[in-house]
Amino acid sequence: MNNTVNKLKKIDLKSITLYIGAIVILLAFTIICKANGKDFLTSSNIQNIISQSSVMAVVAIGASLVILTGGIDLSVGSIVGFVGIFGGIMIKSGVPLFAVIVICCVVCALIGLATGYFVSFGKVPAFIVTLGTMQIIRGLTKVLTSGKPVSGFPEALSKLSSFEIFGIPIIIIYVFIFYVLIVFTLSKTKFGRRIYSIGGNPNAAKLSGVKVNKIEMLTYMLAGLFSAFGGLMLLSRLSYADPNAGSGYEMDAIAAVVIGGIALSGGKGKVANTLVGALILGMLKCGLQILNVPTYYQTIIIGVVIIAAVYMDKAKERKAE
Amino acid sequence: MKKLLAVIFVLVYSVSVMLTGCSTSGSSGETSAASGSDQGSAAKSGEDKFVVGFIPMTLNNEYFITMVNGAKQKAAELGVELNVQAGDQHASAADQLTIVENMITSGVDAICIVPSSSEGLAVALKKCKDANIPVINLDTKLDESVLKEAGVTVPFYGTNNYEGAKSAGEYVKANFKAGTKTAILTGIAGQQNAADRRDGFIKGAGDAINVVAEQSANWEVDQGYAATQNILTANPDIELVYAGNDGMAIGAVRAIKEAKKESQVKVIGFDGTSEALNMIESGEMYASVAQFPAEMGILGVENALKLIKGEKVEESTDTGAKLILPENVKEHQEYCKKYAE
Repeated sequence: MNNTVNKLKKIDLKSITLYIGAIVILLAFTIICKANGKDFLTSSNIQNIISQSSVMAVVAIGASLVILTGGIDLSVGSIVGFVGIFGGIMIKSGVPLFAVIVICCVVCALIGLATGYFVSFGKVPAFIVTLGTMQIIRGLTKVLTSGKPVSGFPEALSKLSSFEIFGIPIIIIYVFIFYVLIVFTLSKTKFGRRIYSIGGNPNAAKLSGVKVNKIEMLTYMLAGLFSAFGGLMLLSRLSYADPNAGSGYEMDAIAAVVIGGIALSGGKGKVANTLVGALILGMLKCGLQILNVPTYYQTIIIGVVIIAAVYMDKAKERKAE
Repeated sequence: MKKLLAVIFVLVYSVSVMLTGCSTSGSSGETSAASGSDQGSAAKSGEDKFVVGFIPMTLNNEYFITMVNGAKQKAAELGVELNVQAGDQHASAADQLTIVENMITSGVDAICIVPSSSEGLAVALKKCKDANIPVINLDTKLDESVLKEAGVTVPFYGTNNYEGAKSAGEYVKANFKAGTKTAILTGIAGQQNAADRRDGFIKGAGDAINVVAEQSANWEVDQGYAATQNILTANPDIELVYAGNDGMAIGAVRAIKEAKKESQVKVIGFDGTSEALNMIESGEMYASVAQFPAEMGILGVENALKLIKGEKVEESTDTGAKLILPENVKEHQEYCKKYAE
């Protein structure tokens, strides 16, 4: 009994450090912005920050799952770009929006499934398979339109993200729905617990009858699926599809995941905290821009925060040693 | 530990309540969005300073840095505060939308923007319109369809890439023999300016050139270098390389030098960057089409201020292009020095 209480405390402390960090950043920006005559902590700006981080946050769900199994997925950014162009072409040629969404999700899930097959059953390192997928999908995206962007979409597309419910843009609500679903899946289903078990100790998981390969493959499929969601959200938010969209998102997603405290070695961490990680990155970008910090310095500051976050996260382990 | 956490929590909570309290009272007390003259900054700005947001496509190359420097100088002269922000990815529509949103939050009075592509800013323009912030379009012209979609009119100050490239082509036509064996290095496939710089040159040069090789080198020095090496292997007798920007042209010059064909192959670039100007001066490069990004920045800030004050502005201005050759390179270098810092 005492043991479980201690365990709970330990887990929560990690999360609490992260939440305090997020609040400190929020307050620091609020104070500094205030001193410069600008408002940071307003409901409209908070909505802005979440909208701006929404695509990243959703893509990072997939990245979290893959990283929990001890893998990595570099192809998520290229899938975001692919969905924009692929979906964009379909919308322009008159395919109903709902069908476009379904087709994009299915196609990207299949791409993820194929990637996952090579990683899990094929035993090719995830880094290499997804590096290949990244190139293939980015190239394919450019082939579709000869590298040209797609624009001139119906109003309905942008309504998919900007439509407001009780004054909250729906794109924000999507993010929370996705996170609630995934947190529920991870904590309450067998599939969810197995993701943790194969990330923690794949051999033990195998011995206890878990179909490691299958579970691993499915996480890549989900990464493809969540990238499709992210890509569709970006398409709707911009009402414009750029074949280069999403480049670099794979790294931003990894940053959100590690700031959120999921270990790159797998098996440990909370997906809900990935959302906090994504929001911290979003807050930084927004706050630094509002403060008119020169672009080059922004990159430096974000880099420092990534390392600092993980350094603080590891404080306990250092102490234990 | 628990106690400590509780203390931190109470502290954080009380500070946040305090701050939200003054942030709401502060914003309701403000009349102009950008007055920036509440308690905190009252000492900083005695009078209201107008703020112009300035968004170049990126800050990763000299062209846009020069543009920003021109804008900064003009802003200092007019007593306008300039807020410069660029995305960290090359030409990202998503980054630009985010920047526009954050500039609206930070309370700029007008925005000058070089769009990441001519089609991608409809949503951002609509947000500016809703926030009543005038927008000026620089360098890369926004499509009419985008402006119509956003329901705005936006003045444009920049050059026509096609015309600039055509003038380089016409110079080649006048100074080279017919059927000169030519290789062309183009920018990123699918980008409008890449196509314009290629098509304009071919149109202007007409039958003076015989294009034996054409490669996309994505605007990059290293790719221009590799592409030219391969082109020289396949076509050792080329006489002219035309590159869509100076970066690729510089790569071409390196490759040609390595192949010891400097006397045989001439290189024409585009942009008139300082490195290219130095190479023209030393005779390594033949020519470059220079645009005037600083003028675009200057016109942008100048007219943004007019729009803020409700004055009329020029709907469209062509800032022109000029072919830089060994005979006029010194003069152009002098001009560029003004905007180097």
